[in-house]
Amino acid sequence: MKTRILGVVALAAIVAATFVALVVVPPDQNQGDAQRIMYPHVASAWLAYLSFGVTALAGIGWLWKRDLRFDAVAVSGAEIGVMFTAFAIWGGMMWGRPVWGVFWQWEDPRLTTTALLLALYVGYLLLRRLTDDPERRATRAAIVGLVAAVDIPIVHFSVEWWRGLHQTATIASPDKVLNPAAPMAFVGTLLGMLAAFTLAWAYLMVRRYQLARRELEREERGRIERIVEARSNPVPSEALR
Amino acid sequence: MMLWPTISAPQTSMPQTTIYVSPRSLGAHDSRPPAVVTTDLARLFAGNAALAGVSLRVDAGGVIALLGANGAGKTTLLRVLATAIRPSYGRAQVDGFDIDRDADIVRGRVAYLSHATGLYDDLTARENLRFAAAMLGTPDAAQRVERALFDVGLSDRAADPVRGFSAGMRKRLALGRILLGNASLVLLDEPYAALDADGLSLVDQLLVAWREVGVTVLVASHAADRLEPFLDGRVLLARGLVAGVEGQGVTSFPPSLPVARGSLTGVSP
Amino acid sequence: MSTLASDTRVALAIARKDALAELRGRHATVSTLFFAAVVLLLFGFALGPDSARLAAAAPGLLWLAVVFAGVLAVNRLHLLETDDGALEQLALYPVARRAIYAGKALAGFAAMLLLGLLVLGAVGVLFAVDIASAWLPLLATVVLGALGVAAVGTFYAGVTVRLRAREVMLPLLMLPVLAPLLLGAVKATSAALAGDPFGELGAWLQLLVAFDVIMVVAGAATYGFLLED
Repeated sequence: MKTRILGVVALAAIVAATFVALVVVPPDQNQGDAQRIMYPHVASAWLAYLSFGVTALAGIGWLWKRDLRFDAVAVSGAEIGVMFTAFAIWGGMMWGRPVWGVFWQWEDPRLTTTALLLALYVGYLLLRRLTDDPERRATRAAIVGLVAAVDIPIVHFSVEWWRGLHQTATIASPDKVLNPAAPMAFVGTLLGMLAAFTLAWAYLMVRRYQLARRELEREERGRIERIVEARSNPVPSEALR
Repeated sequence: MMLWPTISAPQTSMPQTTIYVSPRSLGAHDSRPPAVVTTDLARLFAGNAALAGVSLRVDAGGVIALLGANGAGKTTLLRVLATAIRPSYGRAQVDGFDIDRDADIVRGRVAYLSHATGLYDDLTARENLRFAAAMLGTPDAAQRVERALFDVGLSDRAADPVRGFSAGMRKRLALGRILLGNASLVLLDEPYAALDADGLSLVDQLLVAWREVGVTVLVASHAADRLEPFLDGRVLLARGLVAGVEGQGVTSFPPSLPVARGSLTGVSP
Repeated sequence: MSTLASDTRVALAIARKDALAELRGRHATVSTLFFAAVVLLLFGFALGPDSARLAAAAPGLLWLAVVFAGVLAVNRLHLLETDDGALEQLALYPVARRAIYAGKALAGFAAMLLLGLLVLGAVGVLFAVDIASAWLPLLATVVLGALGVAAVGTFYAGVTVRLRAREVMLPLLMLPVLAPLLLGAVKATSAALAGDPFGELGAWLQLLVAFDVIMVVAGAATYGFLLED
């Protein structure tokens, strides 16, 4: 019940934030209406990275406590995260096209790092899919998620360096050439979109976790049933001689 | 001058040999904790309960047979005790050390002969044992390796790659590897399988040797008759449960119902 | 119970064992080297025949060849442990898990170093690049790059050794993580070959060192979990 309320609130927030971003807030003085994509793009990117952090931390939780509920959180984070990552990349490309003239710019550390994040997520989810035993799957996923999470900052750093040391570094990130007409409205809209997206993210995470948790409980019930059945019906010793 | 503690073997078709087994200093039998204690030990594979609830106590120093039909859970029980796999439910201790919390310590005290030999095909017999000695931290490794090769009857094949070995020779080499360690609990899964007459006699001698120095041996085998003269006790497994216990040195307890929860919470039968 | 000294002994024993098995009959190193050579040849066909363009692309081609061949090499080294349950036996020895990782990564490093040096030579010949003038920084780059590939590769080979679809999953998991290493190694190589006009060589080498240290620590800390069932 509480989840449903969360869902409704999140939906309302997104509708409101989108309306504000598309209609209410004035266009950027440098980039015009193309800049509007920035609001959901930045929000998605933030949640993509947050999800990954959640997945990595949940993996540590599993390794430490051996409670499969941590793994349920991890898989939720990965699946929700991959959605937000894909959307963030798409948004980044849509925003980059008018600003750069091209869809992709290798020297934008955020774009390339996010693309790599997507590759890491996909690998993580495929790995999960290929392992059947729940505990082995949780362990493998946890350590792969951990190493991937450790890698992300290195990637970002190295791409920044890549750009920084390039002599003709005239290509800037789109946000460096912004000139908002109303700075307060700009910040406000961004924060509002961020809040709305975070609510939506929370709703999706809770739903996905509930699904995973139900699956775990079903499995556990099945296993306990098997064991109880076996213990209640031992092979009578006469039958063994 | 070599000082080998020598153990005499019973008269067999082979000339009498002495096998070097080096246990850790174990102390008097009654002062030692039980070699194995399991509590409601259960393990499932893809929904099938290979072990459903085994509660056993094995006293230190005896040779105990694990008997039962195929699929009764003998191999699974041995693998759990060897820390090769984790149990799904329940607990177990080896020499008083928990197999989950103190897995490292347990590994240092247990030797396991499984169906697979764990040998490297491209290395020679000697190199395989040298490697094992390095892993086990065997003192005087070079000498001990030669001695082990001699004891299992592979001295003349020591420089040959394992790739060309028969199943029986591999098993001997695996037994040789166990001799390099100083386990207090030896777990043997079908030790007699694939061995010729000399090999069978080797296993017999090993059982005697281990018993003499107070090493506990748990043997899963179909060859109950062959094992008979060496046994202190027998455990019969059926469908993942203990169906019966005989002899000395081993006791079983009925599994508890209801079942304690596993890694999830909120679910009870 | 395990000390640094005992861990080192264990790691060296494992590395020796891997090296021995490789020399004996796996022929993995030879086929991996030939694979790298074939990759370089194909690069020549794909990007040539303009030698100026190939010379400019040489650092990238070098490291791409090393990384792709590296996937094969670390895979072969872990395949060694599928001999008759050897991996399970390895996990049962009373040794520190990180020492097992260190041993296998060390063997991987030796293989990758050999691979890297030979590919460097091949690139010098095929793409008309003057290696001798900058041999020291190039050597440093190859050493650091080889270590990074070995550290990451050993870890992921451990993850995938008992996995279905292993041949696809190993590169799929390993290569994205190697992106910063690839970037740093290529930049360091081109800086070295150009005589380091912008003074950036030191920075790139630092990146490689940082990557290597982080990945070795992460691998050593987590490899043990892979050995459990």
